[in-house]
Amino acid sequence: MSKHSALNTFGRSGNPAFTRNFENAETFSQTERMTLDGAVNKTAILLALCFAGAFAGWNVPALAMPGFIIGTVLAFVTIFRSPAKAGSTAPFYALFEGMLLGGITVFAEMQYPGIGIQAIGLTFGILASLLFCYKSGIIKPTENFKLMIFSATMGIAILYFVSFIMSFFGSGIGFIHSNGLFGIGFSVFVVGIASLNLVLDFDFIEDGAEKGLPQYMEWYGAFSLMVTLVWLYIEILRLLMKLRSR
Amino acid sequence: MNAIFFGVLTILSLFIFMNLGKIKASKKQMNRDDRINWGGKRRPNFQQNRARSKIIEGSAEEVDDGTQK
Repeated sequence: MSKHSALNTFGRSGNPAFTRNFENAETFSQTERMTLDGAVNKTAILLALCFAGAFAGWNVPALAMPGFIIGTVLAFVTIFRSPAKAGSTAPFYALFEGMLLGGITVFAEMQYPGIGIQAIGLTFGILASLLFCYKSGIIKPTENFKLMIFSATMGIAILYFVSFIMSFFGSGIGFIHSNGLFGIGFSVFVVGIASLNLVLDFDFIEDGAEKGLPQYMEWYGAFSLMVTLVWLYIEILRLLMKLRSR
Repeated sequence: MNAIFFGVLTILSLFIFMNLGKIKASKKQMNRDDRINWGGKRRPNFQQNRARSKIIEGSAEEVDDGTQK
């Protein structure tokens, strides 16, 4: 009997993006199944669309706010409505999030020239190195690893949400935005957690391809990777801005 | 110089991702007992549980252990 039989039965995470039952794949033919190649190709398409959106946002920074709002709505629709629709929502998500990233990168570049290319380089550098660590088995994602990363991610999300609400009342959680040692330490921690979320995305895609999930899950896997990459890029940009402002 | 370094890093990383991403993970990674269960079956709710239950509802009868032996 499996060591994690209770976990296998009941699951551990409450995250709706990861707790749906995707295992009923028997009804799909061999050509309609998820593959690693397909997921990587779709990630490349989403990245290209994100770069196109970033180009638009770079030239017209006013697109950043609509990009943020529409991108966020599309992300929630994809996660909570139906992963099966990811093929139609994820490309638009990538495009609008690109506009947001282009806009905020212009803002950051005006203050600290050269910071944009540093953030892009570090984001993709982390992506490549963690992919290597995952493929070679250096990092092994387990249920406990998943629990740890989800807990930390939810904690960060709640902290950001509380800070966002407090900002309406002229207050806020100062240390998370400061350029002091504590603020930089917090940013390093968030970058670390965002990076380790990539490992969960890799495992999700690998597992889906192995189990032969339906083909639309290629889009969903690529979408989840894009969400993590966008978050990672923003956090790296924030960290670099804090470091450069000292 | 800075931009060239990070530009090359970006291109190299994307190249690694496109190639390495399509390769299956190592056996050490795939053949583990403690892999994440992404199926994540939810705990069925009470009504579902009740519908699937094999217990016949009705009046309880006392079971005489002696008769079963």
